[in-house]
Amino acid sequence: MKTKVKPLVSLNVNPCKMCMPMGAVTAMYGIKKSMSILHGSQGCSTYIRRHMATHYNEPVDIASTSLTEHGTVYGGEENLLKGLKNLIELYNPEVIGVSTTCLSETIGEDIARMIEKFYELNPEYAYIRIIPIHSPGYGGTQFDGYFRGLYQIVSHLARECEKNNKINVVTGMQSPSDIRFLKKEFARFGLEAIFLSDLSDNLDGGYSEKYSRLPSGGTSVSEIEQMGGAACTVEFVGMDLEYSPGQYLADRFGVPLKKLMLPVGLRDTDEFYRGLSELSGMKIPEEVELERGRYLDAMIDSHKYSGDGRAVIYGDPDFVLSTVRLCVENGVMPVVAATGSTCKMLKPLLEKEIKPLGDMIFEENYCIVDDIDFKTMEELAVSGNANLMIGNSDGRRIEENMSIPLVRRGFPIHDRVGGQRLRMLGFAGSLMYLDEITNAVLACKERGFRKELYNEYYKDTPIDQGIREEVLDTAAIKKREIEEKTKTHPCYNCGAHEYARIHLPVAPHCNVQCNYCVRKFDCPNESRPGVTTKVMTPEEAFDRYISVKEKVPNLSVVGIAGPGDALANFGDTKRTLELIREYDPKVTFCLSTNGLMLPKYADELIKLGVSHVTVTINAVDPRISAKIYKFIDYMGIRFTGENAGAILLSNQLNGIRLLASQGIICKVNIVTLKGINDTHIPEVVSKMKSLGCYVTNIMPMIPVKGSAFENLVPASNKEVNAIRDICGETMLQMYHCRQCRADAVGRLDNDISLEVNEKQQGEPAEQSRDQEQSARFAVASKSGTLVDQHFGQIQEVYIYESKNDEVRFVERRKIDQYCTGAENCDHKEGKIDSIISMIEDCKGVIAMRIGEEPRNKLTEKGIFVYPTYDRIEDAVKKATSMI
Amino acid sequence: MSEGLKEKVLDKYSARVYKNRKPHLVTVGEETEITANTRTIPGIITQRGCCYAGCKGVVLGPIKDAAIIVHGPIGCSYYAWGTRRHKAESDIRDNEEADCYLEYCFSTDMQEADIVFGGEKKLKQAAQEIVDIFKPKIVMICSTCPVGLIGDDINAVAKWIESDLGTKAISFSCEGYKGVSQSAGHHIANNQLIRYVIGTGDKEPKTKYSVNVLGEYNIGGDGWEVEKLLKRCGVEVVSVFTGGGSYRDLKNSHLANLNLVQCHRSINYVADMMKDKYGIDWIKVNFVGIESTAKALRDVGEYFGDEQLKKRIEEVIADEMSAIADDVSYYNSKLKGKTAALYVGGSRAHHYQVLLKDFGIETVLAGYEFAHRDDYEGREVIPSIKTDADSKNIESLEVEADPKHYRVFLTDEQKAELDNKGVKLNYYEGMFKGMNDGSIICDDLNHFETEEFLRVLKPDIFFSGIKDKFVAQKSGMLSRQLHSYDYSGPYAGFKGAVNFGHDLVMGLYTPAWSYIRAPWKSIPSIEGTLGGAE
Repeated sequence: MKTKVKPLVSLNVNPCKMCMPMGAVTAMYGIKKSMSILHGSQGCSTYIRRHMATHYNEPVDIASTSLTEHGTVYGGEENLLKGLKNLIELYNPEVIGVSTTCLSETIGEDIARMIEKFYELNPEYAYIRIIPIHSPGYGGTQFDGYFRGLYQIVSHLARECEKNNKINVVTGMQSPSDIRFLKKEFARFGLEAIFLSDLSDNLDGGYSEKYSRLPSGGTSVSEIEQMGGAACTVEFVGMDLEYSPGQYLADRFGVPLKKLMLPVGLRDTDEFYRGLSELSGMKIPEEVELERGRYLDAMIDSHKYSGDGRAVIYGDPDFVLSTVRLCVENGVMPVVAATGSTCKMLKPLLEKEIKPLGDMIFEENYCIVDDIDFKTMEELAVSGNANLMIGNSDGRRIEENMSIPLVRRGFPIHDRVGGQRLRMLGFAGSLMYLDEITNAVLACKERGFRKELYNEYYKDTPIDQGIREEVLDTAAIKKREIEEKTKTHPCYNCGAHEYARIHLPVAPHCNVQCNYCVRKFDCPNESRPGVTTKVMTPEEAFDRYISVKEKVPNLSVVGIAGPGDALANFGDTKRTLELIREYDPKVTFCLSTNGLMLPKYADELIKLGVSHVTVTINAVDPRISAKIYKFIDYMGIRFTGENAGAILLSNQLNGIRLLASQGIICKVNIVTLKGINDTHIPEVVSKMKSLGCYVTNIMPMIPVKGSAFENLVPASNKEVNAIRDICGETMLQMYHCRQCRADAVGRLDNDISLEVNEKQQGEPAEQSRDQEQSARFAVASKSGTLVDQHFGQIQEVYIYESKNDEVRFVERRKIDQYCTGAENCDHKEGKIDSIISMIEDCKGVIAMRIGEEPRNKLTEKGIFVYPTYDRIEDAVKKATSMI
Repeated sequence: MSEGLKEKVLDKYSARVYKNRKPHLVTVGEETEITANTRTIPGIITQRGCCYAGCKGVVLGPIKDAAIIVHGPIGCSYYAWGTRRHKAESDIRDNEEADCYLEYCFSTDMQEADIVFGGEKKLKQAAQEIVDIFKPKIVMICSTCPVGLIGDDINAVAKWIESDLGTKAISFSCEGYKGVSQSAGHHIANNQLIRYVIGTGDKEPKTKYSVNVLGEYNIGGDGWEVEKLLKRCGVEVVSVFTGGGSYRDLKNSHLANLNLVQCHRSINYVADMMKDKYGIDWIKVNFVGIESTAKALRDVGEYFGDEQLKKRIEEVIADEMSAIADDVSYYNSKLKGKTAALYVGGSRAHHYQVLLKDFGIETVLAGYEFAHRDDYEGREVIPSIKTDADSKNIESLEVEADPKHYRVFLTDEQKAELDNKGVKLNYYEGMFKGMNDGSIICDDLNHFETEEFLRVLKPDIFFSGIKDKFVAQKSGMLSRQLHSYDYSGPYAGFKGAVNFGHDLVMGLYTPAWSYIRAPWKSIPSIEGTLGGAE
């Protein structure tokens, strides 16, 4: 599970929550003959009325004390006293909720005292119950405000009274229609229930010729007074509440509290009816069994579609919990479950639901987030590949922008009618809910399946082109094969270390001049892409493959990586691959290219059986490309500047699109060029993600003498890793790239190309080493470009040679680590000795840092020690001059 | 009769409230003065909003390329998010792009700790984040109630955004409790626009016939319709305040030659100050209504005085009129003789009476939520309006003629000539003058009064907002929302009038009304005729 999301710290972009007063006045709306007055500036009541009226399609009358600047300075008591009086004179309510707002809370209004004063001044209104509700807008969301409102209602109205057989029912902000369902079910079991709060009629009334000023439905004061004597309280919230009316009744009057989930989905509705049956002593009616059967039937009918659902679920905590439970029962994977409220207890509850389903379908990338905003949600929806959203109508913007269908539930629903009568409770409600969810998935399939399936499975396949021999090679088999191959490809699978690859240098020409590249043949002194010892003909390459395969049986991958561009030398590339394929039908072909010729050769590559293609794309903006590429040669013309960038880019993107649509695994290499594309890389990555790339490999630039960027400061490992981490939010990143040479052989962590080359040329390595008499240095480097490692932690050293101002890389040598922790320290004597014996031919050691003891030992042996942090070549030069 | 009617409603009040409310109610032809723009009575369910709503919601909200951070707890920003149907699209004009942030809602989401320890730091971080992510051309900060009380200095933060983040920023201290209604927020927004936006650009209009459209918020596309008409006539629209408008255009607005004021209440400060500072005259126009649209276009022609332009305008009017003539006469036949009540805004209740008249509908009751006396009685009463404590709290900005850009377009003689032709410069006549004797005008009509008046007056249609509409709708009276147009529109201009007529006919004649009486009920449930039932 992913729990760490990266929301903005201070800016809420598109809020997924409202404020406390909204909840407080909603709670009051379920009380018969009640009115609310908001103590604050009048905008609060106006805005809240506007939002509630749009959702419920009912008049929503909430008064305000209309505080002005005068009130903020001298206190709002006068306004509240007047307001209460005016409200009573015109509307004559039996109950009044006085809810505070940001304004009155900030100036510290003591509304309880003011209410007392009101009674003192107006004894004739002593019969009216006035309830103070502290609901600062900054103190919580509508969810918190609603329960605080309920709590205040109960604690003000409930009394010590004779025991009765009634059941107190507490719910969150359910739709009036769902409340009506609950009421009916309690009645069906002969139970007399007192609902807190009962929105069923007041916010979903019928047509009547006379406008009723006061809510005529709802729970009456006398009913609430009896709550203290009830047989039991049932709280349908599914979690512990800070302000729990049920807990209050239990503590104060000893009414037993029973906590149930809302009856949403099969398990919880079963539990609901079991609960009703227990409370009433009645058997569950046969009709309910029938309803259950019908719902179960629907679940089974729907599973084949709903099982493809990847849902984003958001809203009030109780809503999210119940909806998630319904979804997992039906195999709908909640990839994002989120609430705008701050609600820490929700996460473990949801985790318990989602994880087992995730485990079953191998989905670890789901998020459970509280205090979310819609901007974060949109990012998570996209990265989670969601195809469905469930929540209130504020998700409509994501629905529109990202074409993810939204099943509307919860509050508010502003862009459709009927928010007040949406159902989700009970078997019938769950069925409507499930049908909507399933149909949202189905609608997407229905809309797209002809074209998408045609494109994916039929178009451009041999059948389509009238070729018959490859009839069996269906796309599905191909795809599975490619997946298998990816598992044994060391560059694509971190775990495939044991497999080896060979790069065959058959492609000398290049059609793009990158500013960071100088291609020199026969230049084994550097290890980086585009560099090779010797260019081979296809036949030579084939021989080499055979000879290496004999020595290295786990050779699973053949790659063409230059030294130029594989596709700029397509004839040779093709011939090489054909020869090898004939010999070994199983081997994986991969290829790296700048992508310029990709659209032209994509089909042929697929036919040749190339399954993995790496494209180097450093920018998706021609303006940036213009800074990176000196020129491109395309269709016989040399293009420069933005034109070059635009042509290259469009071919790269089209090429990848073609390959990815055919199931070819595409990797994109991005060279980090500080100050040029480093901040642009996330954009490149998200573009690649949208094209269907498998992985991106963000690499540091290796500065090369003679290239246009020779003086560009390379990005540090840390910087590159930071960019990878950011982009990791978007798609898979490669963290283990070793930036191989064009003729690399072996495993990623053990390049044996020199060995193989030398053997091939019949020149023993020792011999060539002996010929050189000049100064050699052992360099401790992690990156291969910088002196950036502690001597004590080296696992290998880079041997460099300096001769007449020329610095040359000789080889890498494996070394036992000197410092592996305290327990090995006893043996370190011997270890230092063995390290020293391995680098005895060196004049000096260059490391970032080095301990006292090894320094002394080395000095004893006459080996010079130079601690520095620098580019390797420069460090070697400096060290040479120091000797 | 109408006096008796007013008394009947007022009688329900206590003596104190009676005394307060009486001068807000006027019978046309009997009284000439109204009380307006005073404090709302607490506890009476008012339809008014707050200062923040006027500033952020009305005037600033539609500026598409401004990233507006609401500094405060979450509610206020949430509630003003996409609430009004002011539309906009991002566009490019003369190679300059204007982004569109209208679908976004940016809030500092203040928590209890921020209230206690101050929220400036959070605001700064939020500004940093918004600049990093969205790179807006301009950041606006609007404060909500608690901000003014805890003393966060949003002005200083705006300065910091300009100096340290290099992005233009303006602060608006529009705490909800300021003033007595949205109107205070309009004023605050107007002041800051004059101070920091208007006059900061230098893109000259391409033609001499260049105008700004002020107080047009592009609800349901009204502004687009108006802009299209003006362009058809050959009039260049430099900027629109603020529906579909942009900071990109507003900053050049001082270079236009004439201001057209649609909503007088919300934008008259800008019109006035631009007159004083840049010498730009303004004409009150009304693009709602067929005849009034034609008059507005002709007035523009008269102002510029060019025969060619005037001819073009007449051609456009003739063409537009002939295109809608059939529809209008059909709708007219269905609507003639109906009555209407309007309670909306600080200008719309006036504008829409004109359109209703085009269809033969009589207005029996009209009221504004947040207007001042001049919106009712005409600008001639401004000198006699007493400033009370609440108005004094809102800064009244004094501007001086801009030495570089002040110019006079017309000579005094030309102005006198215009006046003779019936084109009043820099003047609004108010709502009173157009209304029939005996009709009722009610300022800050509250929920209770709405219900009482509708019961007695029984208009066929009630035009209002969402909050008060159900009083009418639930009792079988057609209601149309004039804040949001119920997803419909545009209603402005010639074509808009047809849309409006269509919506009214659809509403009055919907078959649903005919099923209200259940067949098993022998006693009619509603007396009199239903809206539209013949």
